[in-house]
Amino acid sequence: MYRYDQFDAAIVRDRVTQFREQVARRLDGSLTEEEFTPLRLMNGLYLQLHAYMLRIAVPYGTLNGRQLRQLAMIADRWDRGYGHFTTRQNLQLNWPRLADVPDILAALAEVEMHCIQTSGNCIRNVTADQFAGVAADEIEDPRPTAELIRQWSTLHPEFSFLPRKFKIAVTGAARDRAAVAVHDIGIRIVRNEAGEVGYKVLVGGGLGRTPMIGKTIRDFLPRGELLAFLEAIMRVYNLEGRRDNKYKARIKILVHEIGTDAFIARVEEEYARLDGPSVNADPAEVARIAAYFAPPTYEALPPVSESFEAAKARDPDFARFAATNLFPHKMPGYTAITVSVKPIGAPPGDATSDQMRALADLAELHSADELRITHVQNVVLPHVKLDDVHEVWSALVEAGLATPNAGLITDIIACPGMDYCKLATARSIPIAQAIATRFADAERQALIGELGIKISGCINACGHHHVGAIGILGLDKAGVENYQITLGGDPGEQASLGERLGPGIGADAVPEAIERLVETYLEIRAGKDEAFIDTVRRVGLDPFKNALQPKEAILEAA
Amino acid sequence: MSKRPQAALIMSANALLDGAVVYYAAGGAWSPQLADAIVAVSEDEAGALEAARAAAEASGAVVEPEILPVGTDAAGRIVPSHYREKIRALGPTIRRDLGPQARGEHDHVSL
Repeated sequence: MYRYDQFDAAIVRDRVTQFREQVARRLDGSLTEEEFTPLRLMNGLYLQLHAYMLRIAVPYGTLNGRQLRQLAMIADRWDRGYGHFTTRQNLQLNWPRLADVPDILAALAEVEMHCIQTSGNCIRNVTADQFAGVAADEIEDPRPTAELIRQWSTLHPEFSFLPRKFKIAVTGAARDRAAVAVHDIGIRIVRNEAGEVGYKVLVGGGLGRTPMIGKTIRDFLPRGELLAFLEAIMRVYNLEGRRDNKYKARIKILVHEIGTDAFIARVEEEYARLDGPSVNADPAEVARIAAYFAPPTYEALPPVSESFEAAKARDPDFARFAATNLFPHKMPGYTAITVSVKPIGAPPGDATSDQMRALADLAELHSADELRITHVQNVVLPHVKLDDVHEVWSALVEAGLATPNAGLITDIIACPGMDYCKLATARSIPIAQAIATRFADAERQALIGELGIKISGCINACGHHHVGAIGILGLDKAGVENYQITLGGDPGEQASLGERLGPGIGADAVPEAIERLVETYLEIRAGKDEAFIDTVRRVGLDPFKNALQPKEAILEAA
Repeated sequence: MSKRPQAALIMSANALLDGAVVYYAAGGAWSPQLADAIVAVSEDEAGALEAARAAAEASGAVVEPEILPVGTDAAGRIVPSHYREKIRALGPTIRRDLGPQARGEHDHVSL
């Protein structure tokens, strides 16, 4: 994985020193809150309902055992012994004290981590496919591209005060696991007819109060032109993006208002004017970065592991886990394990410091010292020998992290919601807990198959509800929590936004409504291989509309 | 005689040092206890509370001071009107071991 060079190390160290002084000046009264707020936000420090919250960047979701162990130490020493993995592949601490934050940042810097650009109107942490470098359907590992963008966008002077925040995601695979179509810029690594590797560039996707699917503005951008082309996009947005209305300031609104063709024309005009070679990365530098992401040294292994097969035959619980939580690795004899941070009934994405240490140990022992945070709020051990899976699973069982539900109905994305978040209009986590508890039976979950439920506690959509096969949005309806349900969202390569099923319902009614949606699906699906989203695509919303009615009302109508 | 505002009001903020929820109390102090909150009932009291809010914001001693409506329960204890403020008074509803609720505070408040 990428190691800091002298510049990275100096930037992070200097920032810690600066922020230590800024905190001291806030505490002694030299800075007002108004003056201090942008400074703390530039370092990922928010104020939430009960406490401050610190958002720690995990670039493209990749980290090693030492880093995760340090995060566990920080959670124990300066927080409350746990952290929350987010849909942007970051980690949030919910209870840091202001005076301790400079020490936390210094501890992060020791392991090449920071909170820079995890807030504010700048280019945020670049996200990527959690199976980067692993997936068999990959053209190439997206992380060297993501790292190049990270270096280019870090403290970029021209793009430090954008009209609004800016999110970039990269995938290198045919199957889109990084939700690139709902990012400000989505990048797909593609091959052209000549077999050359380059980029398909999407712009103007996003969720929030005005959800949009990104528009393709270049089908094939030669690899070496990436940064100059991104710079052209950013320049057009920086100049023409709206600054008069916070809710209309994202690039998706600009693309929507002027139209895709006009936007393309402006970007291409700007691109033609730019001095490309002065912006684009030197191929030698690109190669230097790529070398950090060289695959680990794999052993030559047979594709089938006898011990793995025997363990599955012996132990049905292990077999169930193996059926749901393993992802095919491009190397024979290896697999990638999705560690579900969604134990039934627990807050999605919350891991205790003990669990973090257990994962760090497993990464070091069994996964080439690598971990990935997924945008679905899980953790991946990307390089595990099939021979070792049973041993890893046993350790996960011990750590309370062996829930066999990756991709299933209880693998729910939920934002922190009103249990923590200042912007929330309703709680999300208790809804996720109630649904997961209702569908706890692992056998039934497997029968239902792949189904993404995504829950947001306000229209800002941190819980990605618009792209949930079932989306749930929590609102405040005259002082009572109320939940709108959408169907048909998909974050993948066939990206689509969910449609509202009907009027909102109360919190208590949500699990029953989900139950009826699932029952309807099971009745009408065209077979076991038709996933929930595919059934919705085939039949539309109508067959599901009764699900929002209480059972008695359906009986009366019948 | 001053008119009554629509609802009884208190002022809350987050403490500068740790962001904990605090309430504006007698003598200009900030207390973690809801019971210590000054309750504005009359229009004059509401005006005084707003003046105190503006002063608190200007001084920067606390963060994001806000005025919010409250009621009282049968025992005369202050109960925030909105569920958001009830959650602030208690702590995360999914982690009863954290926040004021973990210290047994505000257990008369329920969602």
